[in-house]
Amino acid sequence: MSKKVAIVCNGAEPKNLYPTFVLASSAVASGDEVILFFTPGAAPALKKGELEKIKSKGMPDMKELVEGVENLGGRLLLCELALEAKDLKKEELRDGVEIVGATSFMADINDAQITFSF
Amino acid sequence: MATHTLDTLGLKCPQPILKVAAKAKELQPGDILEVIADCHSFPKDIEAWCSRTGKTLLVCADEGGGKYKAQIQF
Repeated sequence: MSKKVAIVCNGAEPKNLYPTFVLASSAVASGDEVILFFTPGAAPALKKGELEKIKSKGMPDMKELVEGVENLGGRLLLCELALEAKDLKKEELRDGVEIVGATSFMADINDAQITFSF
Repeated sequence: MATHTLDTLGLKCPQPILKVAAKAKELQPGDILEVIADCHSFPKDIEAWCSRTGKTLLVCADEGGGKYKAQIQF
């Protein structure tokens, strides 16, 4: 049975991004519906090309994990507060990122069976 | 029925499973996918993936030298 998985990412460092994308890619690969929510602290990672720069010794290729999540239907949501808080413009964000408010995110994941926060 | 092969040597968890999931879209029911991997967690991961997605894991053999070969029936 496929599940609905919600993962909140709170920072733009490898320690935040690796668990987020390792678990998200594993879940989408197994047929789960996956929603990732990036809080303002994690927002810089969603600027075009930033995730592809993440590297860490002994860890899998971040670019492939992100592509896996995107290609298998995972959704990347950015907290709308991040735009002003982090001086970001929509055009600077990677393609496919949805800008949402807290209430719609909470409505989206109301029936999620699995949640994580990193 | 066709047999497909997938080489995931050198890829770390969960990349081999991601490759399998991407490849799965090309396969028809009855096809067999043969996967070569050297990721430590691969035997348990592929077993879990098959269980979650309703595929049949025919065999996951230890080929020695840290390599595994799995056959999955779609």
